[in-house]
Amino acid sequence: MNENASGLKSQVQPIVVVDSISKSFTHNVKVLDNVSTRVTKGDVLVIIGPSGSGKSTFLRCLNGLEDIDQGTILIDGIPLDDHEKNRLKIRREVGMVFQSFHLFPHMTVLENVNLAQKLVRKKSKIEATQLSKDLLQKVGVDDKAAVYPNELSGGQQQRVAIARALALMPKIMLFDEATSALDPEMIGEVLDVIRDLANDGMTMVVVTHEMGFAREVSDRVLFMEHGCVIEEAPTERFFQQPAQERTRAFLRKIL
Amino acid sequence: MHKRVFYTPLDFILISLLLAAAGYVFYRIAFHLDYSWNWHVIPQYLFRYDVERGRWVSNYLIDGLVTTIRLSLWAGILALVLGFFFAVMRLSSSLFLRLFARCYIELMRNLPPVVIIFLFYFFLADQFLPLLHLEQVVSRLPPPLQRIEEFLFGDPAILSPFVSAMITLAAFESAYVAEIFRAGIESVENHQREAAYALGLKNHQTMRHIILPQALIRVLPPLSGQLISLIKDSAIVSVISIQELTYQGTQLMASTYMTIEVWTTIALLYLLLTFPCSVMVSYLESRFARS
Repeated sequence: MNENASGLKSQVQPIVVVDSISKSFTHNVKVLDNVSTRVTKGDVLVIIGPSGSGKSTFLRCLNGLEDIDQGTILIDGIPLDDHEKNRLKIRREVGMVFQSFHLFPHMTVLENVNLAQKLVRKKSKIEATQLSKDLLQKVGVDDKAAVYPNELSGGQQQRVAIARALALMPKIMLFDEATSALDPEMIGEVLDVIRDLANDGMTMVVVTHEMGFAREVSDRVLFMEHGCVIEEAPTERFFQQPAQERTRAFLRKIL
Repeated sequence: MHKRVFYTPLDFILISLLLAAAGYVFYRIAFHLDYSWNWHVIPQYLFRYDVERGRWVSNYLIDGLVTTIRLSLWAGILALVLGFFFAVMRLSSSLFLRLFARCYIELMRNLPPVVIIFLFYFFLADQFLPLLHLEQVVSRLPPPLQRIEEFLFGDPAILSPFVSAMITLAAFESAYVAEIFRAGIESVENHQREAAYALGLKNHQTMRHIILPQALIRVLPPLSGQLISLIKDSAIVSVISIQELTYQGTQLMASTYMTIEVWTTIALLYLLLTFPCSVMVSYLESRFARS
């Protein structure tokens, strides 16, 4: 695979570096056990695995929503450690989309998307509104800007949540089972938006149960079970010739 | 949404029985009570005609009502501010602040208000406030400011007792207010904090833009209820001779012996204050239930 050999150096530089992180909720139960991975800029890493395998927890560690007990995380060269400054920088470079949207119910759709631009990027209301309108149009809910979240369908809310995360111009986007709380007929519209983002070259880490989507959109797939990485491989190889027996067993069950 | 109301024969029987009982009680009071009614003397204690100034002025009861309003208003505002800070301290990450707020709240909620009033009052009014020379400060103000002071806080001559009563009331109401605020802040789902965290908001920004707006809407009904409580509780400061409504009542009763008339009037005056607040609370509750 030499098709993008030119300018390779900046491309290959990993933007997410996770080195043997571990985490336990209580002393006995390890939710993450020695997990390592790299994400290259512009790549999409999809994390799959059975429920309770720790994939959501792993994702939440990447922006510091969960603390890790051991190991190191480097986001765009910044270590995710106890320094509040580093944390803040990372939080501002990493956008996150949650399973149940978590929009701010007391603000309109436009205010939801404007908020972080004004508070974090110190933009004026006019500047913020300009970008927000563009983003809302991109995710197809520009006609709902003045509406409160509870008047929207689940699919619309999740698309607004994506626009809200994008408003900070993040370098990395995290998707935590973004379609799991949606009615079946609304999953497509949200996946379309994520697919567009992938095509635009956004670096993404996606936790999902949508295997067809995972296969289509990802560059690499990471399979987790019981808090351990069982297998990580480029997408085609992962689905066609998985190396591990447990991966094969999991794929047999869900495909 | 209104439920349709159905009346059954049983309702009619019960209502008739209640009306009959009320009628009988009224009949006994009206014709057989050993009490001479003197309702006609009450109005002059509300307003009287000042011959020297040639106009109608307020008298004991209305003066007392106004003092109660002033006291409740300022104590209410102070209790809101104090309560808010105690709530924030109670939820602080600092152990010292948490313990301090917890001790204060528990102490205030587990002592009888009258005891707190005596404790605070004798410390504040006798020891602390004289150091501030409030009356002297006010007497040195220019006349327009003095008039504003009098409108807001009442007679400057008794400013010190008024202020200590106000602080005392606020001190123990703030413990209840703090618990209401705390419950409100804690009731905002954690995922709202997570969403704000992921958007790169700082803690104080999350508090101000995400948590508090949602918490305040939720605590508005219980908070207004607490304000009604405060109005009622303000009667307690009559024990330290603040001339609010209840104190005026005891004085008037002592001089006229018209127990029932005086206390009925005072009850009505309190209702005049609290009932609109209650209506407001139900209005707020129904409004926020919709949104």
